[in-house]
Amino acid sequence: MNKIAIIILTSVFVMVPVLARQSDQGEPSVRFAPLHIYVDSGSRPLAAYQFELKATDGQIKIVGVEGGQHEAFREAPYYDPAALANDKIIIAAFNTGKDLPKGRIRIATIHLQIIGETKPEYELKLTVAADADGKQIPATISYEEGE
Amino acid sequence: MTERMEQFDEDLDPGEYSKLSADLRALFKTLRSVPPEVDRAVYDRIHRHFAGVKSSQGKYRRFRWAALWKVAAAAAVVIFAFSLDLTKRSERVTQRPALAEIQAADIDLNGRVDILDAFTLARQIEKTGHVESRWDMNGDGLVDRRDVDTVALAAVRLDKGVL
Repeated sequence: MNKIAIIILTSVFVMVPVLARQSDQGEPSVRFAPLHIYVDSGSRPLAAYQFELKATDGQIKIVGVEGGQHEAFREAPYYDPAALANDKIIIAAFNTGKDLPKGRIRIATIHLQIIGETKPEYELKLTVAADADGKQIPATISYEEGE
Repeated sequence: MTERMEQFDEDLDPGEYSKLSADLRALFKTLRSVPPEVDRAVYDRIHRHFAGVKSSQGKYRRFRWAALWKVAAAAAVVIFAFSLDLTKRSERVTQRPALAEIQAADIDLNGRVDILDAFTLARQIEKTGHVESRWDMNGDGLVDRRDVDTVALAAVRLDKGVL
């Protein structure tokens, strides 16, 4: 019993200064934020999209991907699971139904872990936007950082 | 010699001393024999005591074995469930396709694998219900939604290069 008490006390005395030193060094701040992705297909119905996102500044980790606001794209889109805990991702989705969105809609939300104080910057590229016939349509993509 | 010792020595009578010695010896003399009734009673009591301990140990052991069997049965059920892949939550295929599958996933033959290949295949399946067997991406003998998922996942693979 005495031996155990001595071991515990020794461990505490060794660990406390080490932990105190670590906390003094100060780890980088970490916060979580959603990044909402919007596509504007104008007057054409959007049936399929694919885009790529990469952080160009700041340190981020992708922690999750969520579907969009319209029923056609509400289900979580396709993405490579290897993109989680990474800073780049390719996301795509399609819908073969008749009820398709037009105009500017939120197609996906990417949940991010932002490490450090630097405000992240992103490069976003829409590689595919197609209508119900599978024909490419002109569309623009943008993002908004949520709280 | 102190005053106190002198007092003791003065009154010491040799006859009294020997009587006192004999009394003390009798007092501390051990009992030579225990009556058989007492022996029997002690034996019975011990026997009853240890019989009770044994039965409670048996009960504990039985309980422990029952608990172990329950744990083993639960583990077997979990292993069996995993072997049946009951934990799969959705129908969507989430495994990353192999590189060979990616090359085969160029459904529209435009030299690039993207979501339009999956879209084209999905529309084809929904419209006609009959599609070419070469689009059986996962080799299960059927061309269905799982093959569409395989094509879509090939389109979003990171090692294709991003931006």
